[in-house]
Formats: sequence, C-alpha cells, structure tokens
Amino acid sequence: MINIFQVAYKNLLRKKARSGLTIIGIALAAWVLVSLLGFNRGYESSLNKDIDNLGFQMLVTAKGCPYEAATLMLKGGTGLRYMKQEIADSVASQPEVEQITPMLMQAVFDPNKGESGGITAYLGVDPATFPKMKSFLEFKQGGWFSDPNALEAVMGYEAAELEQREAGDLLLIPTKNVELKVVGVLKRTGTQDDGTIFLPLKAVQKIFGIKDELTGIGVKVKKEADIAQFEERMYRLPDVQVVSLTQVKQTIMTLVSTAKVMVFSIALIAILIAVVGVINTILMSVMERIQEIGILKSMGATAWDIFKLIWLETLILCLTGGLIGTAMAMATAKLTEILVRQLLPYAPSGGLVQINLVLVLFTFGVVTLIGLISGIYPSWKAGRVRPLDAIRSQVE
Amino acid sequence: MRNLLFSLILLLASATQTYGAVGCDLNDPDRDVARLFPGSTGYKTSYLSIAQKGGEALLAKVEERLGDKFHGLYETIDVPYTLYDIYQGKQKIGYIHGVNQKGQYGGIQVFLALDLEGIIKSFYFQKLTSKFGKQLRDPKFGQQFVGLSLKDFYGYDVSSGKATGPSRVEQIKNPAPQAEADFRAALRAVKKNLILMDEFVLGNQYLKYFKPFGGSSR
Repeated sequence: MINIFQVAYKNLLRKKARSGLTIIGIALAAWVLVSLLGFNRGYESSLNKDIDNLGFQMLVTAKGCPYEAATLMLKGGTGLRYMKQEIADSVASQPEVEQITPMLMQAVFDPNKGESGGITAYLGVDPATFPKMKSFLEFKQGGWFSDPNALEAVMGYEAAELEQREAGDLLLIPTKNVELKVVGVLKRTGTQDDGTIFLPLKAVQKIFGIKDELTGIGVKVKKEADIAQFEERMYRLPDVQVVSLTQVKQTIMTLVSTAKVMVFSIALIAILIAVVGVINTILMSVMERIQEIGILKSMGATAWDIFKLIWLETLILCLTGGLIGTAMAMATAKLTEILVRQLLPYAPSGGLVQINLVLVLFTFGVVTLIGLISGIYPSWKAGRVRPLDAIRSQVE
Repeated sequence: MRNLLFSLILLLASATQTYGAVGCDLNDPDRDVARLFPGSTGYKTSYLSIAQKGGEALLAKVEERLGDKFHGLYETIDVPYTLYDIYQGKQKIGYIHGVNQKGQYGGIQVFLALDLEGIIKSFYFQKLTSKFGKQLRDPKFGQQFVGLSLKDFYGYDVSSGKATGPSRVEQIKNPAPQAEADFRAALRAVKKNLILMDEFVLGNQYLKYFKPFGGSSR
C-alpha cells in the first residue's frame, strides 16, 4: 500500500522543472548560509591564531623607551630608556603571567650607511624564552643561537636581504668593530621581526657594556587570567609603560563583530528569498490541485491528512535543497577561500572558510525549519478546501 | 588612537602578501643625482629585471660575461634594478644605476654614473659595512673608476680577483689591503653593473669586446 511519503514524492515529480528550480533556490540559500557561517568561523579563528602567534600579548618597556627598531631609528638611535632586571622578576611573579622574555635593544650609528650615515639596531633576546614565545618564527636557513653568550646573530629576512647575509656569514657591528656569526635567517613573517637583527641578550649586554638592564619585557598571560585586571595593575607600576595587544585584539574583534552583523544580514536575506520561493511554489501547486484535494476530501481525507501531505512535500523540497547546498558549500570551500583572499587584501593566515559537522547540522536544521515554517500557510490553505467548492470549480 | 595604530599594524602583520627580491635605489635621488651628475636638471626612474628582459637565457648570458655565477639567496633573476635616466633640460645625458653585492660583513651597494656611451663618470658606495669603510669610501678610491668602461673590465676575472693581461682595472689600487674581500666585491659589483647596463640600455655595444677567459673575442 502506498504511504503518505510516496504520495508526496510522486506529487513533486509531477512538476519536475518547478520542483527542481525550487530545490536549486533552496540549495543556493543553504550554500550561501554554510559558506558565510564557515567564513565567519574561519576568519575569527584565523585572526585569533594570528594574534596569539604574535608571541606575547603585552610588552612592558621603560617609560618613553621606543619599543620598535623602526621608532628607534626615527629617533636617530637615541632615546633608549632602561629598566632594572628586578622589574622583569617582579612581572614574572604575578599570578596571571605564564612566561616573560626579557629584551635589550641597542643601536649604533653606521657612518658608511648612505651619504650621511645611518642607524642599525640590534635586539638582544633570551635564547631560553624568546624562541618558545615566538614559536611561529620559521627559519629559511640555520637556527637559533648555539650558546646564550655566543657572538651570533639571527636575522629577519629583510635585514638579511639588505645586508646580503646568509647562515655562516659574518656581520660587523659598526663602531664597536665586533664580528658576529650569522647562524640563522628567518623566513618572512610580514611583521617588524623581518627587519630585526636578533642577538643573545647576554652578548648585547656585554658588547654594549650594559649590566642587568633591559629595554623591554614580553609578557605572555595565562589563558584563564583576567587580563584587564592584570593590565590595570601593570599600568600602575612606576617608570614603565605597558603596550598591550589585548586591546588590539578587542578592537579587532569589535571590527569583526560589525562584519559579522553584515554577514548574518546577507544570510538572512538569502533565507527570506528561499522562504518566499518555497511558499510560492507550494501555493501554486495547491491551487493547481484544488480539485484533486477536493476529491481526496470527499473520499474521506481529513483536513489534517491534506495538511500533512502538503507539509511533507515542502519538507522534502527543503531537505533535498539543504543537502545539495551543504554538499556544494563543502565541495567549493577551497574555491570560496581563494575568492575571499582575492577580495580581502589583508586576510589572516590559515583556513578562511572552516566548515565542520556542527555547522552542517546547524544549516540542515535551519533549512528544515524554513521548510516547516514556509509549508504552514499552503498546507493550511489546502486543508481548508471544501470538497464541494473544489469539484464545482472544475465543472465551472 | 593607539588601539587604531596597533590594529593597523596587526592587520598588516597578518596580511598574506607576495614579496619580490630587494632592489637597489638611491636613498635620496634628488640630492644624489645632482651630486653624481653635476649639471643634470632632472631624471626619470624605471625598473628592470633579468627575468623581465630575457629570463633564464639572459641570466646565462650575463653570468658568462661576468665570468661568475649569480649565487646566494639574494642574487637572483628577479632582482629589480632601478635605472635613473639623467636629463639636462630635455636632453638625456647619461644614466645612474646601482647593484647590490655581498661584502665581507654586509651588503654593499655600488652606484655608477655613466655617460650615454657607458663610460663611468662617477662611482659611489651607497652602503658598505667594513672595518675599513672610511678608506674604501674615500673619493680618491672612487676616482680610479672614472673613464673606465665595460671594455676595461672584461679582462678582470671576478673569481680570482686578477686581470688577465694588461688592463686599466689592474691599476685600481686597494686603499685598504686588509679589506681585500670588500675591494674585490666592489670590482665585481662594477663589472656586473656595467654588463647589466649594456644588456638593458646600451644595446650590447660592448659585446664585441667580450672574450671568455681563455677564448677569443666575438
């Protein structure tokens, strides 16, 4: 005996083109929805990862001290301020701190750089902590220092390119006439590290005669820590300034939230178009079959039976469309990512469109809900058909 | 404001970018052109590369004329070379062109001012890291190159640092014998610079004088 599912399925097959176009409409809406949600998820997660990859979320420097080599050079290599090693110990002892890395920046005037000389900056870093914190740094050649006191240098890609240095080459600190061995050249990162010459902290202290003093402390905060509260405490420390990337993260996340609203608005419009399309299709189908529905009712079908039948047809259309749309979104995720990267000049690294099972199930749920909602009116209308009126309309 | 600045830095930091090899530009073209080419009133800048002008075939040709391979991470086929066409009024009077060269302690940037025939009018170390930088940057050192052309450099073997046969290049004195590596790097840079200019701009007018070491001229 034929069941209600088979009846609904056969009914849809009677108008193949119309049913097919409706399914395509729903599939496109589902595709847009999955892709947008996948992009939203991927973008946020990639951005978070990029921010975490910056190594430390907070930089503590002596008040007024430039914290980037570029700023130091703009100041003509002057303006360095120092803080005592004890401050680093004090910061490290804070409960929110996971790890710190002390740094000492120095600059020398190189009279043979350009017509009137130029500044070269060196960043002394702790070989025990810095590489761990900046774990995203990759080497094009060589590796980190062989010894904490070694007269060795690791060069950012652009610094190495400008100086035409490779691992194994010598590097001279002008005016100090100290020879360093280049032990590593980093791959490009797109950050200020590209232009930095890294030396072991102790070597910088020795070469420049600076004992127990630092220009900066990189701070990695524990994941569960209350960063805002910790920052407030750091701001209260005398003679130091705090540059926090947490604020940056919050600012970016605010921007991302704004973008999110736009993304969801587009998704909502796509859903609304799909809903209207489904209602239109089913309603047309009901109108065309009004006499048929009348005969069914005269044969004993109840309003609920008719409602169920029409509702089921809507559901089949939506589920099929949802299935196709989701599959399309998954199959074209890579292509979507390439397109998004073409459109967004500053896209974070990592997967920009991340579609997972939860997202697929969610979309499927949404599409089912669309089917159920958009099927209500046509089904209700079909259920209310009076058999006599329906049959009479055929005669007329 | 700080947040905004950092956001921009971060966005730039997270950018996916493509990068090219580093070129060699004058730090202050307005000032440097006037100094290297007295009497000039203007200049036009253009960018050329071996990749763009002839690819692998041109690279092989340049290497043959140089008598040495391009090597290392940074001496590559896609290095953009900056060419300054020098004008006096509307009349072109010469060129300024620079190349990067690996030195003993760092990158060396050698610029040459050439007349329209490819004769060196002035020599300029824009960048040099050396214990003897002062001696090498002395104007007297640079003056030794004035009047030379690629024809003179063909007899100079950049690999051995020696001239094969009588050559005006042989007469160039190293002002700091302890900085032999940088001296030789400077000569290699000049020869490479002149070859590139001949290929890019001068229509290979010096090719007829070229003879591979141990061979005969073309």
